[in-house]
Amino acid sequence: MIRIEDSAWKVMLEHAIRAYPGECCGILLGREDQGGQRTVSIAIPCRNAYQGDQSDRFLIDPRDQIAADRRARSESLDVLGFFHSHPDHGLYFSETDLKNSWPWYSNIVLSIRKGEFSEAGAFRADEAQTLATREELVHPRE
Amino acid sequence: MAKVLIPTPLRQYAGGQKEVEVPGATVGEVFAALTTAFADLRNHLYTNEGKLRTFVNVYLNDDDVRYLDRDKTAVAASDTLSIVPSIAGGRR
Repeated sequence: MIRIEDSAWKVMLEHAIRAYPGECCGILLGREDQGGQRTVSIAIPCRNAYQGDQSDRFLIDPRDQIAADRRARSESLDVLGFFHSHPDHGLYFSETDLKNSWPWYSNIVLSIRKGEFSEAGAFRADEAQTLATREELVHPRE
Repeated sequence: MAKVLIPTPLRQYAGGQKEVEVPGATVGEVFAALTTAFADLRNHLYTNEGKLRTFVNVYLNDDDVRYLDRDKTAVAASDTLSIVPSIAGGRR
């Protein structure tokens, strides 16, 4: 299970709506407890670094990841995963998402329709990156 | 010894450590020492042919080693190497 705190959720939603009709992307910082439950306390909005049509693709600049990793380490947090949006599309983890993800990380997808939030879900890739499974997502009401 | 920062998914293969100090004068030497100390890391970082996987980026401080001298890039004791997962995707 992954839970998003209010301030982080607000950042994610604002970033996804601002990026519409393009895909947004960002990095999630927080903690995982002994039972494997994850809590995201900080969401870092990132520039979509994909060079091309950003309505259906995103790329996170590795330099943004390094900066996020430094912040996580300085605040005794971990990089728990990433988020991105699907403008005018539903909630799923596409083959492109799966091939370009990493196991272990939580991947939160925000469906944005006509510029407004529709729904969100969390996914994790298996070790072989051939299958994504849904992870329970708890977020504040928008 | 140079410091190597381990991303969260790979810490389970590095004794649970967030960072590891490893000897070596080049990126190749540091990573050889790292994967000798933590053999399980090798499969996650390198292909069977011994090449760095395409979805693994290695940065020396703030620079991608692919744009420096790759494995031959010189490393000083004060340097930090970051293993950075390549993260991308899209709805199609």
